[in-house]
Order: sequence, then structure tokens, then C-alpha cells
Amino acid sequence: MPREKYRDKVEGLFKKADMYNLVENLETCLACGKCVGNCPVASLNPSYNPRQIISDVLNGEAQRWLQSEEIWRCFWCAGCYTVCPNDIHFPLLMMQLRYLAAENNYGVKYIMPFKRFALRAIEDGLTFAPGEKGRQKIMRYRSNIGAAPWPEISEKAIAEYKELSDLTGATEHLQNITDEDEKPVEFKYLEGRITGE
Amino acid sequence: MNEARVIKPEQLFPAVPESIFLFRSCTGSMEYPGTENAIKEIMAKLGIEVVMDPDQTCCSGYLLTCSVYKPEFSLAVTARNLAIVEQKKLDTYMFCNGCYGYNRELAHIMNHNPAYMKMANNVIARQGYKYEGKTKIYHVQELWYRLIDEIAARVVVPLTGLRVGIHYGCHYLAAQYNILDDGGYPTFHEEIIEALGGVPVFYKERQLCCGYAVGRGFTHREETVQPHLYKKFRSAKAAGVEIMTTVCPGCNVALDREQPNLARRYGVEFNIPIIDLSQLIGIAMGVPLKKLGFEANSVPLDGVLDKLGIDRREQGE
Repeated sequence: MPREKYRDKVEGLFKKADMYNLVENLETCLACGKCVGNCPVASLNPSYNPRQIISDVLNGEAQRWLQSEEIWRCFWCAGCYTVCPNDIHFPLLMMQLRYLAAENNYGVKYIMPFKRFALRAIEDGLTFAPGEKGRQKIMRYRSNIGAAPWPEISEKAIAEYKELSDLTGATEHLQNITDEDEKPVEFKYLEGRITGE
Repeated sequence: MNEARVIKPEQLFPAVPESIFLFRSCTGSMEYPGTENAIKEIMAKLGIEVVMDPDQTCCSGYLLTCSVYKPEFSLAVTARNLAIVEQKKLDTYMFCNGCYGYNRELAHIMNHNPAYMKMANNVIARQGYKYEGKTKIYHVQELWYRLIDEIAARVVVPLTGLRVGIHYGCHYLAAQYNILDDGGYPTFHEEIIEALGGVPVFYKERQLCCGYAVGRGFTHREETVQPHLYKKFRSAKAAGVEIMTTVCPGCNVALDREQPNLARRYGVEFNIPIIDLSQLIGIAMGVPLKKLGFEANSVPLDGVLDKLGIDRREQGE
């Protein structure tokens, strides 16, 4: 496998990537690889490699993960965090890498399905409340067990949830998510991997 | 990092609470309403008062990790919900690993970073709330383990010979600190199953995640989620699992609703019913089946109920 070359190195990239200061100990990564060994996604998609992604972020490689399909495969199960000897919360890094990718129009197609759910959620105060047909089923099941037909959420709660969304800029952010300028993502970490295909 | 990772249930709860705040889970109350009901029924039998509040909203964590919400919103929502619990001077009990994980993580961020605490409080102050970080966040399963002897003493339908596979779900164990067991090899659910008279089964892929997390069930179902679940169920079937328990309605959705799709794709019928641990405790403690809401399950429990000698008609199902 060719040695990694970081031609367009971005100084201080990991500070930029960690925009919310949630993985401040990223530099303590020992590159031990336990995260990879305990990763269910890596076992199915060998080119998804948390250690390599951390290495890229620390070394200022700003494009490879950004344009990759791999970062969208993470389950966020935190198996990597569970075994990390230095308690690096990789899922919180992954969350922020995805924000950066989406800001640069990569992988927006993997966010679009949830835009619809989120716009609904800020109207319902609940996530995944279904449409009318699904609602009928829920109300039947709930009535059959002797519960109130609909989850007991108050008008006040729904209004305040929506208000918090407006106040924190979440509503605006949601409305601005668009795949109009979508750029394609591809597997960027296949080189040197045994993919089993 | 100075905190203890694994702690004993007696340390976690020096005294058993008289009343708890039960945090409504969106998926739990809509997809599998029997989960929430099972908890209420068991708590009533154990003499613990359950308090809920209609002003509580979704924890917002799922959509945060699906990359559509930003942390600013989720921090404010968490602060608001927990502020409501604090007004009642109670601790918060989650029955969804998602709610547990997100609330604990976001509360941790606010409690250890004054700037975030201030930011969230500035927003919720407009609605008249203030979050101080006083309410402790627990998962209901922790209380089950603390009360394992009381539960065992109240078993009226022992799960004799029932082979139960456990699915822990990731976001409880991933909290890492101040939890009941080692994230690398947990066994406390197995102890609960034994207390109910059942046979816990250690299948190979016991700790494999449910795969639906952060929306991958919507975006990468065929490429990743289905082969992943196929691996899990194959190993469970090989080990003779008859029923699988979860402690997260989200995992329940993934493992239960995806089984018919796996059967279509791989031509193998696993037929492993997936229920919440609380629902299984409910069965063993004699909660009427009708109240446990198994109607909502895609994989029916008929075989298991027959094995336990429970007459479904008699119980009005």
C-alpha cells in the first residue's frame, strides 16, 4: 500500500472539523485500531475505517473523507468509543464531519429523507408521527391497551418545541437543506483494502 | 475520566425511589405503546409512582444524528425537558436507549461546558424555564436490575425453558461511565432473565447493533443494514433463540419490522419475536396480555405464549 501523502494539507483542520468542541482529545489517538476491529460497519464495508478517517482529519487531509461515501455508512453505534483506550468520542466527530460534507454539497441525498421527517416533527413535537392512516393504527393499538388514543403531548409542548426550533435557527437550517447543487460521493478509501468483492 | 465506569445497582440507587419521572419516547409511545404500558403496570406492582408530563417533547436526538438538526436546537430541547423534570424534583427515567444516550450526552455537554449551558438557558428562559443540571438520568432497566429480587419474588408465570436472546442496544453501554455493566461484555440482562426463570442464550452476534441507527435503515438498507441484520439473526437462530428482548423501541422497530424483509431477500424465516425487556417482565409478573400490546408486533408471539401455557383468548387478546 502506498504511503499516505497529504499534498493539500490544511493546518489545524481538526480544530475546524470539531466546530462544537466535542472531541477535544482527538489528538490523543494512538492509532491502535481497536475502533476498526469493533466496528460492525467496517466488517461489512472494509473501506470504512474510523482510524484512517481520524488520521486524515489530524493530518489535514480535507478532501478525501469530505467527498467519501464511507462517512455516510457509520451507524453511530459507538462501538469505537466503547473500546477506545483514550475515550475519543468518534461518533461526535462523525456528526460534525457530516455537517461539513453537507455544507459542501456532498452526501445531501443521505440527509434529504430526514428533512421531511424533521419538518413534520417540529409540527408534532414527536419524531416519526405518521400520516393519517398510520395515525389510525396507532390510535387503535393504544386504545386497545387502555391508553389515551394519542401520546399525551400538550399543545403548549408542541408550540414551544416549534418555537425553540425557530429561535435556535433549526427551522431556517432545515428549510435551506437542498440537493440542488448535490455533488457525487464515492468510495474514497478502497485503495489497499481487502473488500471481499 | 475519573468517574467509575461500572457501578453496582446499590451504588446507583442507594434508596429505591418512591416516584419517578418517566420520559415519553416517541417511538415507544407510537410504534410499540405496550412498552410504556408494561413499565407502568410493573411499577404499580412494585409500588413506585410513575409521573409523566404532557409538556415534555421529543428528545430530538434521533434527528440530530440524522444530520438534519443542529446541536443548538437539541441542547435547548434537552434543557427544556430536563427543566420540566427538575421543577418536579424528580429523577428522569428513560425507556429508550436513544432518549437515554442523547439526553445523557447533551446534559453532560451542558454540565461540563458553561458556554453551552448558558446558550441553552438563554433560549429556554424566554419560555420561563431554567435547567440547572440537578435531575439524574437513568434507564428503566437499571431499576429492574436494582429490584431484581423483588421482581423474582413476584413472578407468577415463570419463563421455564424459554430461550431468550438479549439485545442490549448500543446507546446505553456507550454511555460508558456510571452504568451497570461493562460495555465490552455486559451480562446484567441475562441475570434478569434467569431471575424470571428463563434461559438466557449467549449467541455470537449478541452485541451487534440494530443497524437502524442514524437513519441508515432509510438510506443504506440494502447495502449495509440487511446483511448486518441477517448476520445477527443467523447467529441467534443457530443458538436456538426463541424470543429476543430489547430495551429500546428503536431497536425493536429495526429488529421486528425488518424480519419480513429479510425473509423475502434471503429466503430464510427467522420468526424471532422481538419485545421489550419490560414486556417480558410484565408477562412473567402476570400483567394481562392485553395491556402489553403485542398486537403492534410484526413477528407474532404465538409460539412463545403457547410454550408458556398462556391462553390468549382467556386474557382477552
